[in-house]
Amino acid sequence: MYADEPMRPRTMQGRAPDVFTRGGWIPMQLRSDGEEVDFVVIGTGAGGGPLTARLAEKGFSVVAFDAGPYFRPLEEFASDEASQSKLFWTDERIVDGANPLKMGANNSGKAVGGSTVHFAMVSLRFRPEWFRSRTLLGYGADWPLDWREMWTYYAQAEQDLSISGPLSYPWGPKRPRYPYRAHEVNAAGLLLAKGAEAMGYRWSPTPLATVSAPRGNSPPCVYRGFCRVGCSTNAKQSQLVTYIPRAVRAGAEIRDLAMVGRIEVDATGRATGVHYHRDGVWRFQRARNVVVAGYAIETPRLLLNSATDRFPDGLANSSGLVGRYLMTQSNQAVWGEMEEEVRWNKGPPSLALTEHWNYDDRKDFFGGYCWMGQGPLPIEWSSVLTGARGLWGEALRRQMENYNHQIGLKMVGEMLPHLDNRVTLSEEHDQYGLPIPRITYSWTDNDKALIDHGLAQMRTSLELVGARNIFLQKDDTNHLAGTARMGFSRETSVVDADCRSWDIPNLFVCDGSVFPTTGGVNPHLTITAIALRTADRIEALAKRGEL
Amino acid sequence: MTDGTASRYPGYNVLSKRDGPSWDEVTRQVIDRRLNVPREPRFLDPERFRTLKAVCGRILPQPPERPDVPLAAHVDAKLFDNALDGYRHADLPPLREAWLRGLAALDAEAHAAHGRAFADLAYRQQDTLLRRCEAGELSHPAWDGMPPASFFSQRVLADIVAAYYAHPSAWSEIGYGGPASPRGYVRMGANRRDPWEASEARPGRERTALKENRRVR
Amino acid sequence: MDTRSPTGPVAVALAAAGGMTVLGMALSGAGLRRSGRRVAARANAVVGAADRRTAVTAARRLNRASGTLAASVLFDSAVEHYRGGFHNKAMYTPLVAATLSLLVSAHGHRDRGHDAELARDLVYAGAGLAGLLGTGFHVFNVGKKPGGFGWQNLFYSAPLGAPAALCLSGLLGWLSERVRDNAPDTAPLVLGIPAGRVVGAATAAGIIGTVAEAGLLHLRGQFHDPFMLLPVTVPPVAAGFCAAAAFGGAGRPRPLARWMLRASAVIGLSGSAFHAIGVARSMGGWRNWRQNLLDGPPLPAPPAFTGLALAGLAALSLLEDQPE
Ligand SMILES: Cc1cc2nc3c(=O)[nH]c(=O)nc-3n(C[C@H](O)[C@H](O)[C@H](O)COP(=O)(O)OP(=O)(O)OC[C@H]3O[C@@H](n4cnc5c(N)ncnc54)[C@H](O)[C@@H]3O)c2cc1C
Ligand code: SF4
Repeated sequence: MYADEPMRPRTMQGRAPDVFTRGGWIPMQLRSDGEEVDFVVIGTGAGGGPLTARLAEKGFSVVAFDAGPYFRPLEEFASDEASQSKLFWTDERIVDGANPLKMGANNSGKAVGGSTVHFAMVSLRFRPEWFRSRTLLGYGADWPLDWREMWTYYAQAEQDLSISGPLSYPWGPKRPRYPYRAHEVNAAGLLLAKGAEAMGYRWSPTPLATVSAPRGNSPPCVYRGFCRVGCSTNAKQSQLVTYIPRAVRAGAEIRDLAMVGRIEVDATGRATGVHYHRDGVWRFQRARNVVVAGYAIETPRLLLNSATDRFPDGLANSSGLVGRYLMTQSNQAVWGEMEEEVRWNKGPPSLALTEHWNYDDRKDFFGGYCWMGQGPLPIEWSSVLTGARGLWGEALRRQMENYNHQIGLKMVGEMLPHLDNRVTLSEEHDQYGLPIPRITYSWTDNDKALIDHGLAQMRTSLELVGARNIFLQKDDTNHLAGTARMGFSRETSVVDADCRSWDIPNLFVCDGSVFPTTGGVNPHLTITAIALRTADRIEALAKRGEL
Repeated sequence: MTDGTASRYPGYNVLSKRDGPSWDEVTRQVIDRRLNVPREPRFLDPERFRTLKAVCGRILPQPPERPDVPLAAHVDAKLFDNALDGYRHADLPPLREAWLRGLAALDAEAHAAHGRAFADLAYRQQDTLLRRCEAGELSHPAWDGMPPASFFSQRVLADIVAAYYAHPSAWSEIGYGGPASPRGYVRMGANRRDPWEASEARPGRERTALKENRRVR
Repeated sequence: MDTRSPTGPVAVALAAAGGMTVLGMALSGAGLRRSGRRVAARANAVVGAADRRTAVTAARRLNRASGTLAASVLFDSAVEHYRGGFHNKAMYTPLVAATLSLLVSAHGHRDRGHDAELARDLVYAGAGLAGLLGTGFHVFNVGKKPGGFGWQNLFYSAPLGAPAALCLSGLLGWLSERVRDNAPDTAPLVLGIPAGRVVGAATAAGIIGTVAEAGLLHLRGQFHDPFMLLPVTVPPVAAGFCAAAAFGGAGRPRPLARWMLRASAVIGLSGSAFHAIGVARSMGGWRNWRQNLLDGPPLPAPPAFTGLALAGLAALSLLEDQPE
């Protein structure tokens, strides 16, 4: 039930799986370990995917590593929650603190394409003020990025990922029209809309990274609702079906099932390449530049694991901030039952949302949040019932029988960066012999105030549409950010605006870990926009001979 | 799954869609494998397995009119494969160790309280023990520092309940459509059912539901 | 690399359908000058009085137009209302009305006499009425959904334009009876106005409405294929010519208008072929027809253009025959 045959690397023979055909291949350029490539990128998710594609398209030689397999969704993604856990990062991690995080399925992917292979596709932009939240809103930290510049990269990301969104989006500054139209909103989403209208809030069909009409070889979404365990339709515009094929065509090499364990740094303090584990052996790839894009846990872990005599506290860590300011997002929910059949598993889970409290500042805490419709599959739903309500036995089975009548609203809320929420190395080792991470997390009082506000608001919304047996799920969190924050100076941050480390000039970090604050929306579009910008910046630096 | 009119979705069986457009080859393979999980333990010894079976019986008591989902076998398979979740709370030992210790401790508690193995207790006694475990009220030395409440919520509940709702019998029971690729769903509005979805036996429409469910392909 | 265009068999099929369409549109212009001269000669031959045979021919053409529209409505509403589970009994109405309209249109097509038939008139009037009521229903349904008359509901809720096609079928049918029914040695009149003008104006309006519907749905599909632009570019031109003819001088050939109408008729037919490719490239293709016939591009919708183009051609004939 849980075991799949162990997979072997697929991209060893100068070809990569063609994600659009069963058993198909596309040609891929191979590089040897000894060749000093322009860039090694570690991780092929929301950050590493677009960066690899853009760098290759700009003519750099790039090898991208991913610890996970290179799947063909059409033939390898079962319509099944349990077996699709093969998409998640399930290596051991230890969690503690006052509010230990749930990892694995909740926030960590391990596959070519990273977490975007199983993400929920919600594709939102930051509110412009969040890029200067310290100055304008009085909390967190300012970003060294200008929102207007980000607006153009968001637009590019939305084009590249064929985001399906409404013709006009109700919040924030004007944005170009989404490349594809919004999807039909299911019953669960319409109940969110009804509740929002009753509260006097605006709502919107959610901009999603799954196509509502054909795009290339992607057929439109069939509303099967398995998005969070992988889209076998290929409607989902994950990195795996967008930037990765682009990267391969542009000459990048993708090394699947290749776990980078250590970044090598020479006596002059420059990175020279990476040690990686593939097909049972450790190898070394030489590189002129190294980009880490392993997400908020693996990125600091790798930097810390790469400590040398010269950098005893880990690479890029003269500020002592690698691993610190870890952020998650509050993902609390309110659930209830309707008289009518809702059948919430039909369609992508979050077809409608309201960002009201991201843009309304009349509240007595910092940060904002949005909430979205929900459609958990049975295992996930049962874990809500056991977790939040402690149900088991007959009571659980009876409650589960209401599955088709259930509705829910879930928030994505901004948690504040805190120095002590962090990733460190534990004493235990994993299958590669590398120290496993320990993740420590506690909510701040502001976080708790935001959560209470959100829960009360969502509860009202459910009450207004006539839901019964309403209950609150108070403990859930999801997306990660921080641990290698970008900033204005080497004392207060790990990387600069170009995602380049202050300490090691040819070492970059380009993923969710560079976020100084996390905002009240899902992060992937911002990560992708940053990666697109970083590629442009690297090109500019190279032209000026500053790489 | 069940034909009894007591069922909320009489006559509905997700497996009737197995050869239709809602299932693809990889899904068929995965579910076939699940339905054929080895019934004999491969990781736990018979004594622990007996305890586990008893625990499963209380966490998810199953209806008598259909074959049980072999929950203990699925948990044992997870242990055999050492299929990790990707994290564990700092106060819990790793997956296998946690189950071994937890099952032994439950048995030790049963012996201490009633002089019998956990599996030999009456349902009520088993429930009481489990509830005390859930509340963190157990303290036999056999726990060896592992908090019973964490063991209960993060191992017992999580692993057993996940195994149950991964099973087609459970999907049929709750009227869930099950696998859906290449065919997904068409009718998205409230009270709208695709003909390949479960039909609910609301009062007064039990026969219609039965008829519609038999036609699900 | 461009990941926006399909590759493989889908690309081949699309290219083939596109090629055939363009070829068909081009060929539909061939031979128009000659037939134009013929028409002019005939018109000159019967100075002062319209040929009753022409009137019957035009009427039968209108029957075909009405029937084509009815068929399109019949299949379209059958599919759409099946999707809706016929949860409201009124959802059977367009099926009944369109079927009857289709039947009497066939009857009219075979009828070479020049008398109106009461039964046909009644059915056509009924179809028109049903179309009006349907539009009302759909407007009501959209209005009460969250989001009201916003884009989202225009895209996905009960289509406002669909019942109007039933209206048009009824209207064209009713007009066909009026055209057929003209007194000897007079030009066919409808409510005192020359029939060619009425039919032409109605057709132009109908085409514009249908273009709006196609435009809305193709916008929903983000005009992801360039051929999706055809139904929103050629038929409006045809409608323009048609309107110009309706309000312009009579008794002369209009080869360009004919060409554009014929091209629109071709687009209506090839549209169904394109839509069939669309169904095939959806997940699961034709094997998943229970989903893709409903969620994919609607096969029966495009021939509405063919029906209207037929009506437009009938109008042109009437106008060409009509003495100046
Ligand atoms: C279930 C779920 C739903 C989500 N839904 C949404 C959503 O709706 N909208 C949204 O915006 N965001 C969503 N997210 C979050 C989003 O997916 C992530 O924020 C985003 O993908 C992070 O991008 P990244 O590049 O930082 O890391 P990832 O996308 O996680 O990519 C990291 C990659 O690096 C690889 N890697 C790590 N370390 C190493 C190493 N040492 N060697 C080799 N490879 C390595 C990993 O295998 C992985 O593939 C969701 C996440 C999850 C888990
Ligand atoms: S609902 Fe759409 S995006 Fe989600 S898995 Fe299904 S086809 Fe893919």
